[in-house]
Amino acid sequence: MCHSGRAFVRRESRNHPVIPLPEGHTMMDTGDTPAEDLHEDTPTPSRWETVQPWLTLACRVGLAAVLILAAVTKYPPAMSVQAVEAYDLFPADIARLIGYTLPLFELALALLLLAGLATRYVGAASALLMLVFIAGIVSAMARGLNIDCGCFGGGGQVAPEDTRYGLDIARDIAFMAMGAFIALWPRSPFALDRVLGVFR
Amino acid sequence: MTHDQTQKREESMGSEARRRSRERLRQQREKDQRAAARKRGLTVALIAVGVVALVVGVGYVILNLDSSGADYDGGLAPQTLQADGSVVMAEPGAQAPVVEVYADYQCPACRQFELLNGDLLQEKAALGEAIVQFRPVSIFARQPEPISGNSLRAGAAARAAADHGVFVQYNDLLFENQPTEGSEGFTPQQLKELFAETDAPEGAAAGFDERVDAEAETVDRFTGEFLPALTADAVEEFGQDEVAAMPLTDLLDWGADNGHDPSFLEGTYTGETIEATGNAYTRYSGENAFRATPSVYINGELLDNTTTMTVRGLRGAIDDAAPGEVETEPLTDGGGTD
Repeated sequence: MCHSGRAFVRRESRNHPVIPLPEGHTMMDTGDTPAEDLHEDTPTPSRWETVQPWLTLACRVGLAAVLILAAVTKYPPAMSVQAVEAYDLFPADIARLIGYTLPLFELALALLLLAGLATRYVGAASALLMLVFIAGIVSAMARGLNIDCGCFGGGGQVAPEDTRYGLDIARDIAFMAMGAFIALWPRSPFALDRVLGVFR
Repeated sequence: MTHDQTQKREESMGSEARRRSRERLRQQREKDQRAAARKRGLTVALIAVGVVALVVGVGYVILNLDSSGADYDGGLAPQTLQADGSVVMAEPGAQAPVVEVYADYQCPACRQFELLNGDLLQEKAALGEAIVQFRPVSIFARQPEPISGNSLRAGAAARAAADHGVFVQYNDLLFENQPTEGSEGFTPQQLKELFAETDAPEGAAAGFDERVDAEAETVDRFTGEFLPALTADAVEEFGQDEVAAMPLTDLLDWGADNGHDPSFLEGTYTGETIEATGNAYTRYSGENAFRATPSVYINGELLDNTTTMTVRGLRGAIDDAAPGEVETEPLTDGGGTD
């Protein structure tokens, strides 16, 4: 889909339920630790603590796949510009800029999600992007436009009976939830963040 | 107080002080750790912002390489109006691939195509490296007003401009001034003003203006009364889905036998545009079938989206193609051509 000059959004990470891990145990290896090796002072991690990093990883990979698909299907950019113009929200020059850069922004977010770099912020940015998309679709709907959302290529005018706003919004809400999950619980395996010492 | 007691108390005070000192150190250490963690977090976030800026910036430059230097301001190859209302732009005797462009003036993707590749086509034709055939259609003729009316009025006006030898210029102007889908546009007044911007010969405007007014009336009748009534009857006969899938020309043929006389379209450019659209659907089959606009064919082969909508793609496809033959005949009965 098709807007968002909304750039990267950083949020300070205060009030998030980050569950600390026992000293010396990363999620990666607790699964392999035999029960008898556990000392009294290292409590067995709860099921949530074991599962959450893998859920976050799944969200990272899933959302990255969605974003890559969304970016690639918007090629060539002339089609993407057309999809943005169909929303009738921006002057032609701005629509062109968005049409060219939005797929690139999606691609950049996907790369960061896959790399696990600044996971929390990228998750939040992805969720915000989805929110912007939802706002765009709702606005098209409210103004009685009959357009394809252009979320995954395509876009532009369609017959009134061919609009799928409800489906598009539901799908974007699901993607937004994935981004929010990543932002709330950024800790996950296979992430550059771990190497760099954040969100362990 | 004995010496012993005093010493004991001093010792206990000492340990209390040490405990407090240790606590202070611990707090300081934690504070430092938190500060370090914040700093690491900030650094990582900045790296991420840098990655985004890099991907978007470099990508933007690369994407724009495609259309850079593609502007063409040189002279146009001669335009020849064809019997079916299409226009061929080519150097006389050019041995080059035939590039057929199907476009609807109300279609935003067609506008993007025109903005992106219009200059390339003009340049290729002027160099004798392509024979470009413009085939205006109205795929939106059955959409609700104002989309259908905009589409048909513009198609008819482009055909009228061809009568005065300024089709290519007018084609550009129409796309540059395309109304937003769903809003009223291409009014007779606007269409006349755009014609005034062309290099049409002195005195051509009167004939053009008259034609545009007449076509606007035809379009109003078609979209306002004729087609809704015809569609309603057809839906009663065949059902909604089948009528929706029926090409407009087939629907008109059925209507002609069932009390919806389409003769008011005869001799009008509106009717010609509708007919050209119907012919586009029947002209090709299989992989080359005409489905949407813009559709670009080289020697009868449909190009894919990426080839059509990139300058490099279209340029490469034209350069790689063998010379072809235009399949239509020039209009002979006095249509103004140059």
